[in-house]
Amino acid sequence: MSQTQTVVDQGIAELILLWREEAATGMESIVGLDKATVVTAAVGSTFAAPGSSSAHHTDSGLELAAIDTVGGATVNTAGDTITFDHVFTATATKNLAGIHVCNNDDDVTFIECGFNAVLAVENTDTCTIDGQSTINQA
Amino acid sequence: MGTEKVITRGVFNAIVTGEQREGFCEYCGTRTKKEFYMDGERKRVRMICPICGEMGKLIVKTYSIQAPPPPQCVRFKCLYKFFLDTVFCSLLSTYHSKRVSYATHNRHKDMPERYRSGEPSPQNIKQAIKAIIKLKFGR
Repeated sequence: MSQTQTVVDQGIAELILLWREEAATGMESIVGLDKATVVTAAVGSTFAAPGSSSAHHTDSGLELAAIDTVGGATVNTAGDTITFDHVFTATATKNLAGIHVCNNDDDVTFIECGFNAVLAVENTDTCTIDGQSTINQA
Repeated sequence: MGTEKVITRGVFNAIVTGEQREGFCEYCGTRTKKEFYMDGERKRVRMICPICGEMGKLIVKTYSIQAPPPPQCVRFKCLYKFFLDTVFCSLLSTYHSKRVSYATHNRHKDMPERYRSGEPSPQNIKQAIKAIIKLKFGR
């Protein structure tokens, strides 16, 4: 199974709400996905129901947290990309199968990623996430 | 006979990588700390040793593989290229999945650095097949 990552439908709906100046919040939080087998990212995944029946980590340094840095970048056209970096520091042995990138209200997922294989993190291990999302007008 | 131009939709594209490291400096054994730094105009974050500035030992880095762009016309050459790109994408996905699984399950064993970092990555179908076979049987 390859690594999969996608902007989910729920995230697009939240983005449209932002454009409409309705109640919505931007990219702010990140959380690790807990599953012993590979997670396949799906556009239909939501904050409440992550892909492949995985679950959000709730402790051990992989729980929901504010993203360390969020910025803008240019890939094809000026300012068409959002970038984010985050470091998880594990405090116990856990399976890290992927991540969810969420809004500031912590109720909507923008991006779901399932890693190439499940990362078996141990106490004190760090996992640095480097991500970006581009609106590609190709 | 003219060629038909295929109009594709604009899409949201996401690229994510995860880099797993040990939490102690590879050289002096000090616990690494979070450091923010500028990479061009991008503010980034990393875990480095506060004493010697090195990082923890790399365990494994995941690899984001993007699907090939759709064909832009219906000529055989264009469709065949898409076919080859798709086969390469599948093989590359297989290689990196096996590599990440191998590296994470053998974190304390010595192995070629390419299995941990994913670089250099196969650049064509032939290299990808060779890399998969080598990973499975040769190492």
